[in-house]
Amino acid sequence: MSNAAAPSAAPMIRFEGVNKFYGDLAALLDINAEVKKGEVVVVCGPSGSGKSTLIRTVNRLEEIHSGAVVFDGQNVHAKLGGSALNKLRSRIGFVFQSFNLFPHLSVLDNVMLSPIKVSGVGKTDARTRAMELLERVGLANKAQSFPAQLSGGQQQRVAIARALAMEPPAMLFDEPTSALDPEMVGEVLAVMRALARDGMTMMCVTHEMSFAREVADRVWFMDAGRILEVAAPGDFFRTPTHPRAQRFLTDLHAR
Amino acid sequence: MAMLSNIVSIVENNWLLLLVGQYPNGPLGGIAATLILSVLGIALAFPLSVLFALATLSPWRVLRWPVMGLVYVARGVPLLMIILWVYFLLPILIGANVSGFSTMVVALVIYEAAFLSEVVRAGIQALPRGQMDAARALGHSHLGAMRYVILPQALFNMIPSIISQFVSTIKETTLGYVINVPELTFAAGQINNRLLTQPFEVYFILAIIYFVVCWTLTRLATALESWIAWRRSGAGNTAVLAATHAVAAES
Ligand SMILES: Nc1ncnc2c1ncn2[C@@H]1O[C@H](COP(=O)(O)OP(=O)(O)OP(=O)(O)O)[C@@H](O)[C@H]1O
Ligand SMILES: [Mg+2]
Repeated sequence: MSNAAAPSAAPMIRFEGVNKFYGDLAALLDINAEVKKGEVVVVCGPSGSGKSTLIRTVNRLEEIHSGAVVFDGQNVHAKLGGSALNKLRSRIGFVFQSFNLFPHLSVLDNVMLSPIKVSGVGKTDARTRAMELLERVGLANKAQSFPAQLSGGQQQRVAIARALAMEPPAMLFDEPTSALDPEMVGEVLAVMRALARDGMTMMCVTHEMSFAREVADRVWFMDAGRILEVAAPGDFFRTPTHPRAQRFLTDLHAR
Repeated sequence: MAMLSNIVSIVENNWLLLLVGQYPNGPLGGIAATLILSVLGIALAFPLSVLFALATLSPWRVLRWPVMGLVYVARGVPLLMIILWVYFLLPILIGANVSGFSTMVVALVIYEAAFLSEVVRAGIQALPRGQMDAARALGHSHLGAMRYVILPQALFNMIPSIISQFVSTIKETTLGYVINVPELTFAAGQINNRLLTQPFEVYFILAIIYFVVCWTLTRLATALESWIAWRRSGAGNTAVLAATHAVAAES
């Protein structure tokens, strides 16, 4: 609703009958869902429900056992040559709960590395672009610092800038604020809000319900490897239909 | 007391032999040869060990299995066995005479590469899995991720282990004695053969020299280890020392 670019009909990410197992445990069970271009989807659900597994299948950090995950018209889990998969991955921004910045590189080099080594962008261009992105996440003054010298919130904003440097048409977030001290959650959510406002397609696993209410176009509720409910955030929070979702929301408020 | 003066006079009369062997009238020997053997052994083994480690960690079975087998065998036999194999087999394989020195270098490289590759592999596996995930998610190939993200961190963290391995190598060069490589132990043997009556003094000097060299290097490794721990904590990136001080001043 706060999106400037209204979601168009074309899907950016589509899950088609996705199944994944860890031994006997069904981590993902018959997942059918889609994220449209320009849409912001928030995925929530109890711990162990399969949220991370689901989001990591989109860039094939997790393999699946059957079904398909289609990103921008391409099946990520088809038989792909290595370089085709790398190219596909470079177009899918991914932000981790634990930031995963490269500790041996400065903030600037963290952001510049992949455009140069993966996309073949020239050094000067990469630097200009990296500085723009650091400016955008409010950390241009930290360009020469090393990750360990930054707070968690700052590290996560650098991680977002690093993902954006590949100019991906979509961004995935796996609990981007869960590892942060409470006072740092706001600065990361602010960056994500700005991204959404600019029309970025986003799939976010998060328990930040204020963010979901304000920014999401749609909420997916997962439990035990299934998507049990897909709803607009207003409806989901006011009148969740599935009993598991009702219990989840009650528990969340009780915390 | 008599023994001490014996030791002093042995050192006075033979210091050059202990230092460089018969050089320049014969082959280079003594401490110089020991150190050159060790440095060559490690320096040539190191790049090989990185390749071995990458192969054992690679997603490709055809690469993984043969290299794992090779490393397994080389680690599973005594170094002396490798030296003897190289000594008798290498001249046949290449159809030419091979000096004791070269034989020793080849044997050390095989042995050390196998050991170091396990060190490198452990160093790579000790990094958080998120590093590889992040690199792959950005579109780097497996090898690209290794080259730009994983290895720079793993090798840096491994510097102390590499020095320890270097110390082991220095001790292992003594085995060159059995194939007449003129290194430090060989020089001590020559002195002992000449003096005949003072083996205790001669081998005491030998032990002291090895101890001093190895102890110094071990201390260096320990110092580097704490320096690396400090760097890893983020305090010591030299490029930004000034900035760190500024932050420290603020807080
Ligand atoms: N490598 C693995 N091996 C075996 N089981 C796994 C593995 N990874 C995840 N699982 C299991 O799969 C299920 C889904 O895990 P997943 O990490 O996707 O949950 P999640 O919804 O992200 O949970 P959380 O909120 O705690 O992050 C869990 O039951 C988990 O224990
Ligand atoms: Mg998770």
